[in-house]
Amino acid sequence: MTAVTVPLPDARPTPAAPARTAIRLAALELRLLAREPAVAVSLVGFPAITVLVLAGVFGETPDPDFAGVAPSDHYIVGYVGVVLAALGLITIPVRLATYRELGVTRRFRASGLSGPVMIASEIILGAVLGTVSAALVLAAGAAAYGLSLPKDPIGVLAWYLAGLACFIAIGGALGSLLPTGRAASAIGNLLFVPMFLLGGGGPPRDVMTSTMESLSDVLPLSHLIGGLRQAWLGTTDDPHALWWPVLVAIVALLAALHTARRRAG
Amino acid sequence: MRSTTRAHALCRPDSRARTVVEVQGLEKHYGPSQVVRGISFSVREGELFGLLGSNGAGKTTTVEILQGLRQADGGSVAVLGLNPRVAGDRLRRVIGAQLQDASLPERMRVGEALRLFASLHPSPRRLDELADEWQLADLWRRPFGALSGGERQRLFVALALVGRPELVFLDELTQSLDPLSRRRTWDVVRRVRDTGTTVVLVTHDVEEAERLCDRIVVMHEGRVVADGTPPAIVSALGGATTVSFTDPDLDIRRLPDLPGVDSVTRRGTRVDVVGTGPILAHVGARLVDLDRPPLDLRAHQPTLEDRFVDLVKETSR
Repeated sequence: MTAVTVPLPDARPTPAAPARTAIRLAALELRLLAREPAVAVSLVGFPAITVLVLAGVFGETPDPDFAGVAPSDHYIVGYVGVVLAALGLITIPVRLATYRELGVTRRFRASGLSGPVMIASEIILGAVLGTVSAALVLAAGAAAYGLSLPKDPIGVLAWYLAGLACFIAIGGALGSLLPTGRAASAIGNLLFVPMFLLGGGGPPRDVMTSTMESLSDVLPLSHLIGGLRQAWLGTTDDPHALWWPVLVAIVALLAALHTARRRAG
Repeated sequence: MRSTTRAHALCRPDSRARTVVEVQGLEKHYGPSQVVRGISFSVREGELFGLLGSNGAGKTTTVEILQGLRQADGGSVAVLGLNPRVAGDRLRRVIGAQLQDASLPERMRVGEALRLFASLHPSPRRLDELADEWQLADLWRRPFGALSGGERQRLFVALALVGRPELVFLDELTQSLDPLSRRRTWDVVRRVRDTGTTVVLVTHDVEEAERLCDRIVVMHEGRVVADGTPPAIVSALGGATTVSFTDPDLDIRRLPDLPGVDSVTRRGTRVDVVGTGPILAHVGARLVDLDRPPLDLRAHQPTLEDRFVDLVKETSR
């Protein structure tokens, strides 16, 4: 047997404040996720490939079916929302449910990691993952087809933050409600696919049936994508009421906290 | 070996030791099912205390309440002077815990886990020393998912001790370990106690409790059914001693008048004398007086396992 000699830290770590602990935990979680190729595929690979295909199929010529903008712009900007939906409906809940199922959450709590620190860490992790993934999708789309600069950058930021809050909260709620990682994966995909197709990631609104449109109107992703398109491109046919994803975020957060408290009792 | 024994003796708590865990009338329900039924016990500083019971006895729920990981429905609990219900986060930073069925992320490396957990404590152990102490140095970069059962348990104990806790909870530490790893883990637990740390060991393994613990509480169906040192529990429950020897010609009517003897039975060439107290000495002396010293004089005393089974049967009726 060959012994591997690894230099060990000889300095005693200093006690960390809650904010530092949350950042430290989020950074560690990020490293762990980077070792999971499946996460990169589901979070970045699928949206990036889909947006490149759709933008390529429908082209770069402004089209009235796409609210008068280039279909490539329509899809590239909208897929920022799709990335956040994948994060909140699949990545976060699968990780949280798996952690709880395996006893990782209990292990962390028993070691003095408080609930607020773990929640803060999840929010930091979600924000970093969402931002990096969205940037990669935008970069891939812009490199392939070009992309105009946002008409209302503050509006884009506001919609992005609302979408991030909405889908991190949904991820937290699903992750605390669903019993196992497998259940979270199954339910997450079941929710993601129709939300992706009807919420602005699939066919344009003009070609949807009235039933599809009605369903699309209540999906938070439709409003997020509509808001991003409105702010970035200056026009959209999609619904875009900012209060809707914010309201969904608040309800999901309350559901997540309630479930976590009930489980702890 | 001698030094270990001496260390045990030095660390063995006495009745004047400070109480570090105090439980009074603790109750817990899961829906309509009551899993902890008004139990009371205490743990003294420096003690290796065992919470023994079969699966479903309420042991894990009890220690989870002690750590503030679950909320009690009734009774009172104080751990290191703190109420886990209201000061759970503070308490968990000063105790150590190895939990039953707990885990770490599969891809988290040993070194990453030790660094993370160390960062939660105000005065953690030096990680290089801790890794050497628990034979984790060579595993420093190995992911948790690639560790064997024994390596995982060593890591969990190291994580439980990284914050220099005064009190450590070890829940079903040797579950699913092979006999050799189990013995090694027992040595580990003794070493923890020898450093002066109070240990609460939760186990369903009677042999483990008997070999390791200074004092045990036996739980069954949510109740405490016995409390004391293992020998005290065995004797307090009125365990009879059986003295056996071989003598085909002895007149067994010469034995029943001995102090403490309840019955004398011949089974072929074997004689069984059942009673309480120092009957081995009395029987031996009488046989010498009769000039019939046997070559195979033996005493069989009930074990903790015998008593545990009796207790479980009695309380199940």
